[in-house]
Amino acid sequence: MLRRLFTTYLKFIQIQILSQIQYPFSFLFDVFTNGISLLIFFLSLSLVLQRFDNVGGWRLGEIAFLWGTAEIAFGLMDMIFSGFDPDSFSVMVRQGTLDQMLLRPANITIQIFGSRFILRRLGRIAEGLIIFTISQVLSPIVWTLPRLLFYPVVIFSQILFFGGLFIAGSTITFWTIERIEAVNILTYGGNEMISYPMHIYPDWLIKFFTYLIPLIFINYYPALFFLGKPDPFGMPAFAPFLAPLAGLGVFLASLWFWKFGLRYYQGTGS
Amino acid sequence: MNAIIKVEHLSKTFEITQSQKGWSGALRGLIKPLKKKIAAVKEVSFELKPGELVGYLGPNGAGKSTSLKMLTGLLVPTSGVVQVNGLVPWRDRTKYVASIGAVFGQRTTLWWDLPVQESFDLIQYMYRIPDKRYRHNMDLFRDILGLDPFINTPVRSLSLGQRMRADLCAALLHDPKLLFLDEPTIGLDVVAKDKIRQFIKHVNEERKTTIILTTHDLQDVEKLCERVIIIDHGQLLFDGTLEALNNRFGGQRTLQVDFAETYPDVSIEGAGLISHEGLQATYQFDRDILSASDLISRLSNRYKISDLSVREPAIEDTIRRIYVDKLLEN
Amino acid sequence: MRLFLKILRLSFRRQLTYRTATLAGLVTNLFFGVLRASVLIALFNAQPSVNGLTVKGAVTFAGLTQGVIAYLSIFGWWDIMQSIEKGSIGADLLKPMNFFTYWLAQDIGRAAAQFVTRGLVLMIAFGFLFQITLPASPAQWLAFAFALILSGLVSFAWRFIINLAAFWSPNAIGFGRFAFSLTWIFSGFAMPLRLFPDWFQQFCAFTPFPAMINTVIEIFLGTLTPPETLQALLLQAAWFVGLSILSQFILKAGIRRLVIQGG
Repeated sequence: MLRRLFTTYLKFIQIQILSQIQYPFSFLFDVFTNGISLLIFFLSLSLVLQRFDNVGGWRLGEIAFLWGTAEIAFGLMDMIFSGFDPDSFSVMVRQGTLDQMLLRPANITIQIFGSRFILRRLGRIAEGLIIFTISQVLSPIVWTLPRLLFYPVVIFSQILFFGGLFIAGSTITFWTIERIEAVNILTYGGNEMISYPMHIYPDWLIKFFTYLIPLIFINYYPALFFLGKPDPFGMPAFAPFLAPLAGLGVFLASLWFWKFGLRYYQGTGS
Repeated sequence: MNAIIKVEHLSKTFEITQSQKGWSGALRGLIKPLKKKIAAVKEVSFELKPGELVGYLGPNGAGKSTSLKMLTGLLVPTSGVVQVNGLVPWRDRTKYVASIGAVFGQRTTLWWDLPVQESFDLIQYMYRIPDKRYRHNMDLFRDILGLDPFINTPVRSLSLGQRMRADLCAALLHDPKLLFLDEPTIGLDVVAKDKIRQFIKHVNEERKTTIILTTHDLQDVEKLCERVIIIDHGQLLFDGTLEALNNRFGGQRTLQVDFAETYPDVSIEGAGLISHEGLQATYQFDRDILSASDLISRLSNRYKISDLSVREPAIEDTIRRIYVDKLLEN
Repeated sequence: MRLFLKILRLSFRRQLTYRTATLAGLVTNLFFGVLRASVLIALFNAQPSVNGLTVKGAVTFAGLTQGVIAYLSIFGWWDIMQSIEKGSIGADLLKPMNFFTYWLAQDIGRAAAQFVTRGLVLMIAFGFLFQITLPASPAQWLAFAFALILSGLVSFAWRFIINLAAFWSPNAIGFGRFAFSLTWIFSGFAMPLRLFPDWFQQFCAFTPFPAMINTVIEIFLGTLTPPETLQALLLQAAWFVGLSILSQFILKAGIRRLVIQGG
């Protein structure tokens, strides 16, 4: 059963990938421009930092660690969860594509995952890797075994966290039909937020993204652990390791909301 | 024989949010939306026997697509019963949709970027069609639908007629007992329409597939369906044979007569004279009042006739009268 | 001219009908504005003033740039590209009006609506959230108004040129995204140009990008002397004229290509 789900997914993804690299030149150009256009913002910061030296006590290399990690994870997420991108999902609902998927004898969630796989996002992943490399040149991390093992967990947690938000954002469109731009605040806004050391934000914003939406635990706290920085908020010592909990929590809650939304869409949810 | 589809008191009520005027309205809409209930389908009941080919008709917004969505398991009704082949469509979706086929004329169910053949292979995988069965069906449909010239072309570069043929093939590869066709001839030229109709007839007659056909092209209905179901304002208006429909609601028949000699006055009781020019006259008459043979014998008693032809009321006129004049509303 | 104004008015009114979208866009812009202001405040933490810019000015910068996002369509505007791809360009070219002015009229209408609903409202909200600087004299306000209008015109000419790429390639959107992203750094959108290294600022001065955003900001913050202000405004006007002329050559070549290929 699970194996079949997985092969179905792979079959769909394969179609997506093959059709996107049909014109390799145009594809590579897209990957390149995608990466460059995002790198521009990091470039701006690093040029400006020549006059300032630090942001909230963090030097460029340390911010690059935050930034690179966030970008690698978000790029991967944006690629894997392309089908659940709220913007394109609302179009799918309106054009009846979702109904057509429901007429096929396969798991609907897997079909949506397989319906889009934007390979162009490799540009963002590459951008993240470049920035990560810069961080290791400017402020090298001592890669002890626990750190080495924990890093992939952090990336994975962020993918689940933002993927969950994508799913939740798509689910909302069952009620609103139109896409809800405010969801972007949590996804793209969240990605921007965790690219900087979060103690620079206003107090109410930090509280919101600590207790209501646990954004602070997926990048900032792990970074404190990797960079060996003190915690300005005085959280318990295990705070840096809450990332998987936050990621999994948001993901599972969204999955539950998605099932509920799907039932509503088919007329039984309310 | 047992019914393949059983629909009893099927109803669907939607709750829609109304948009409110002005900036303050937009704000209010976000906080406390204005809700309104709309009954899209009301107490619809009918049964279908295996092998039937039924036209499911109704004007735009009649509740046709809502009821189709419930029949295909996309939508759960507010109340009522639907059983297809013993299954409840929305209860076990994957199992149910594996047993039906569906073609929507407006959209393709195939993969846009894939060559036709690869789309079919994917369908074989999804519907778990045994190799032997698949190859057999594939050979058959390639032949009768003439798929060979474009079988390796990506779906996006097919013409509308080609795409429709490919879609029909895709919907039948897994031998569904029940086939839903929504506007299968929309946008096609006369020749292509004819091909599709012949194929639908073939599938219905040879493979004994039960077919529910929704269409606005009444030629489809006239050429394919024996039975029609008409719904409007969410309610079932008519369920019966095409002939019964014509008998009950058909307009007047017309009789065209060529006389052997010129007569100054050719009017006759029981029929209205529409035109009279030279040797030719046209009458209109009601089948309830006068049969065609009675009218002809009345005429031939009085005049010398060289030729005549009776024309039945066109289905188009009948349906139009039902939609426009609400003939069926009590 | 009457036709021009009519198209402008229609386009303005059409924008006002997307109320929920406007509201949502406003909230998003504001949220990102708060984030960007926080970063700038953190940067200025140790230094009160850098190259003539104070923390108050920097926060104002964050509000201004977020406010002009919709006005200048900074993250992308593909209307002409879409009309070329859909083939409705033919009908547009048949209109009894110059193609450039036809789209200019539409864009001014769109921009004016966005300026009111998203720019003005956002700036007022920003004023409540943070301490911001305002122009000190009526003359400075007037100069700001001129700079804002001219920035819209320069930005339009640039976007117009980007969109024409669709004449040459069906995948022009990739190129377009790249062209738009140049604006983000060189116009002073991502960070105030004043904070960049000198060599970078000197390079930017040779491009039309500062005329799209940086000039507006400098005038609003009062970092330019009156003669510098006048010079900056004239430069903006010059870039608009220059880019417009360039766009006409590109348009002609594009149409020739369209005609030869039979559209």
